[in-house]
Amino acid sequence: MYLDAVSNTLINTNGSAKTARTIEKKAVFEYWKDWQPSQISHHGGLCCEIAREWITATDFSSLNGDGIFTGPRWLRQKFNWGASRFPIHWCEAVRRDTLDCGALAALAHEVFTVRGVKSSRVQLVQKFSALATSQWTDSWGKGNEPLAWIKDDLIYHEGCAIDTGDKNIKVWDASAGWWVDSKPADGYGALLAIRLSDFNLRTGESFKWGEHIIKADEWLETS
Amino acid sequence: MKIYISGLYSGTNPQPGVGIARSLRTAYPKAKLIGVEYSNRCSGIHWQDFDEIWLQRPWNELNLTTHTEEIRRVLDSGALWISSIDLEIMWFAGVFPDGHPNLLTPSSAALEQVEKPAVPAHEGLPVKIPTFVTTEISDWDLHAFCREHDWKVWLKGPYYEAVRTRSWAEFEEKRHILSNDWATGRLFLQTHVSGYEESIALSAYEGELIDCVRMRKRDLTELSKTWAGDISEVEAEFIEPLREIIRKINWTGGAELEMVRDADDQLWLLEVNPRFPAWIHGATITGRNMPASLVEGATGLTAKNSPALAEEFTRVVMEIPVRSEFPLSPLPEPLGGTIGHSLKHPSGLLQFASRLHNLSSFDEEKSNGGGKSSQFKAPNVPPSFINDLGGLDLTAMETPASLFLENTAAEYFRKAGELADDLSSDALAVTNAYSIKTNPDERLIKLALESGFLAETISLPEVKKAIKIGFKPEQIILNGPGKWWRRENLPDGKFCSIFCDSIEELNRVIENLESGELQTEHLGVRLRTPNVASRFGIPVDTPEVFERLIEAVRRIPKEYKFAAHFHMASSNVGVGHWWHLFESILRWCGSIEALSGRLIEVLDVGGGWFPEDLQKDSSRNFKKAVALIPEFLPHVRRIISEPGKALAQPSMAVAMQILELRNFENVVHEAVVDGSIAELPMYFFYPHRILYQNPQNGGWKPLGRGKTKLLGRLCMEHDIVASNIELPENTQIGDILVFCDAGAYDRSMSYVFGRG
Repeated sequence: MYLDAVSNTLINTNGSAKTARTIEKKAVFEYWKDWQPSQISHHGGLCCEIAREWITATDFSSLNGDGIFTGPRWLRQKFNWGASRFPIHWCEAVRRDTLDCGALAALAHEVFTVRGVKSSRVQLVQKFSALATSQWTDSWGKGNEPLAWIKDDLIYHEGCAIDTGDKNIKVWDASAGWWVDSKPADGYGALLAIRLSDFNLRTGESFKWGEHIIKADEWLETS
Repeated sequence: MKIYISGLYSGTNPQPGVGIARSLRTAYPKAKLIGVEYSNRCSGIHWQDFDEIWLQRPWNELNLTTHTEEIRRVLDSGALWISSIDLEIMWFAGVFPDGHPNLLTPSSAALEQVEKPAVPAHEGLPVKIPTFVTTEISDWDLHAFCREHDWKVWLKGPYYEAVRTRSWAEFEEKRHILSNDWATGRLFLQTHVSGYEESIALSAYEGELIDCVRMRKRDLTELSKTWAGDISEVEAEFIEPLREIIRKINWTGGAELEMVRDADDQLWLLEVNPRFPAWIHGATITGRNMPASLVEGATGLTAKNSPALAEEFTRVVMEIPVRSEFPLSPLPEPLGGTIGHSLKHPSGLLQFASRLHNLSSFDEEKSNGGGKSSQFKAPNVPPSFINDLGGLDLTAMETPASLFLENTAAEYFRKAGELADDLSSDALAVTNAYSIKTNPDERLIKLALESGFLAETISLPEVKKAIKIGFKPEQIILNGPGKWWRRENLPDGKFCSIFCDSIEELNRVIENLESGELQTEHLGVRLRTPNVASRFGIPVDTPEVFERLIEAVRRIPKEYKFAAHFHMASSNVGVGHWWHLFESILRWCGSIEALSGRLIEVLDVGGGWFPEDLQKDSSRNFKKAVALIPEFLPHVRRIISEPGKALAQPSMAVAMQILELRNFENVVHEAVVDGSIAELPMYFFYPHRILYQNPQNGGWKPLGRGKTKLLGRLCMEHDIVASNIELPENTQIGDILVFCDAGAYDRSMSYVFGRG
């Protein structure tokens, strides 16, 4: 049963061994555990191919001679972060002013891959605050945008991971334009869970991210 | 226990004194902490953890002998001294050559081993040192260094300060400021490393590493100084060699290794500061009290544990009470007409640097900054320049005079031809083209024709001139945004290539070709890639324009070979960046080819190369480039190379005569010449090598850097043709100076001014 597989067990002593009881705590990723990373679709025609070529050629120009492991922060300068309706096609995405984390992560994944960097998609669960998530609920709700990425003070988020050699990965947050810190943390903005997924990864293949060992296609709680 | 702590400046680029005091107060609540400062404007003197303040007069007026004896008495009394001031630490190393058990600073020998930029002691650490050069090399070579490193360079002072210099004009301005500030011409230029800054702070006593931590900067001030950071352990692979180095150089005191981690995870060591960093109390907050560990190591007195409150730290701005015994001084009056109160370095550190250079205990040969001993090198001038000048009778010329260095020009054109032949193969022909705008002198155009070059033109009058000299239309390339200017000059015949500067022009030219009004073998586009500051070419920085370009290219009639043009001045963007842009263009062209279905058969490449950059490793670099082209554009059969500036620039020089010598304190500080920026309009963009002709024997001497400004003849404030040269001692009015490297845009963009 999937709950057994992903739940943590806490012992609530409540000050007395006699009253100790086991309570089930749902995993932080429970709400999104079956979600798949966002994809950008292709019409199969010149329109999407022009858009895709434009993204990858612009990415190379934007490197300005820096190394291929450099994060493509230019994407976030080109696109604001905001709601994206899916399915979204390449020819639509490049003309949008705003893209959500999934679309931005998909673009970043694409440019890393074209650079020759081994890249995978990552799904993340982050903790913010009730105040922050209520703001997002309000602003996205007004536009009738989907809100399922928000749950209480937690959010579902997407990025991509690059293999820097010897199965060591770095996690790129394409919406923020920074590398996610692997150090466990709690509090505002803290990363609580991560899953690496990509059709190129073998099931059970594992990667090292700071002190964490992450297995492909398996959620890992990080703090 | 008494501990003296010097260096209490607490602005946005603070000294560590206050942080050290806070950490020591945590570890030794009963210790007497005495803050030492050299200006009452350093706000750290008001910090509550100091039991006493020992306020000295500023460094510029301090009696150093008396001060030395006072410090010796303090140390002999058993008190410890921790300095936070690099210059004070260097001075201590000189006046206490054998050290003192209570002076917790490194020795002179240890300091030499961490001197920037080379940091000799770094061997064994998993770090690299960014490339650097001293500014004592010639201006010509400094400019080459900047080009080689894409103008991503920092000009650094001998002790403090680093400024980005993005152009030659900016470099000259900053060099002047830093040299004056630090009373030395011995600065250095170091390449920039992109990445994330991190440091290792350590404490050591008599060669034993006591403790060390890593700090990653997490927030920065406008000056890139730490505002917040996280603290972590230093990995064993770093600690072990570090321990060995500390032992080997017998280090005492705090230290900070400032580094950058690049995208490939490589660490670059920028410098080693011979003291604790200003953020040192941030480490104490995480439970790693290094000032306390230093004191404990030196005295054996156990420090009180510093609790770990967090793994990260940040700064806030705090208002604190001013000590009544040190009331605030009034602000100085702004200088007439200026903005601000000029409060930099209130303790007189700049003047202290100057005083240090004059101390006998300060070995200026071994140390940074020794202003008196700076040896500025004169540039190398190719022998062919001298040979060509030898064939000219300058006495018969009216100056300022433009000099054609005939043999030099022929040699440069010949070498360019040889390079093109060398790069050509059965599959790919490489042809040179001479850009007439670079210098429309008929002698150069003729040389180009005789050397098998094509002519690249940007207007129909230039086409007319090329034809007049002997070029045929099929040897002419048309380029630029205004190529149809004066259409009455349009010749009959088929051009070699037409490169369109906009989609609108491309559509129009296609119409003209279809109507028979124009003829060309190749029709192409000039591209402007994203992130390039240029007004030329079709900007592909939006998907909309890119799509329109693809549509337009698809309309090019099949009988015309499709071509692409790329031009960027490598002397402006830097050599490395130029090669990146070249590869970037290949990728864009590959995309255009794939999306439009039109195969690119001709690639026209303009470089804006400096002659040296074209010649330096040219065969290797260009072979690599030619090999790269088929990877992206397998149908290219011809490469047109436009090395205009690289050939024209060395081919001419400007002779000037000295009109007046102005002396100050027996030094010629200004000389007026009859030339001007009207004859040298590129003066602001790159240095020119200057030759002085000995009037007695006619010999030529390249001039190095000195203190003389050469003022042009024009009544224009900015008419200064050289700002820092060294004239020979016996220079007289009427002597001749020749400015080399003036054959490209200096010649074509020179103008008539002040000639009546």
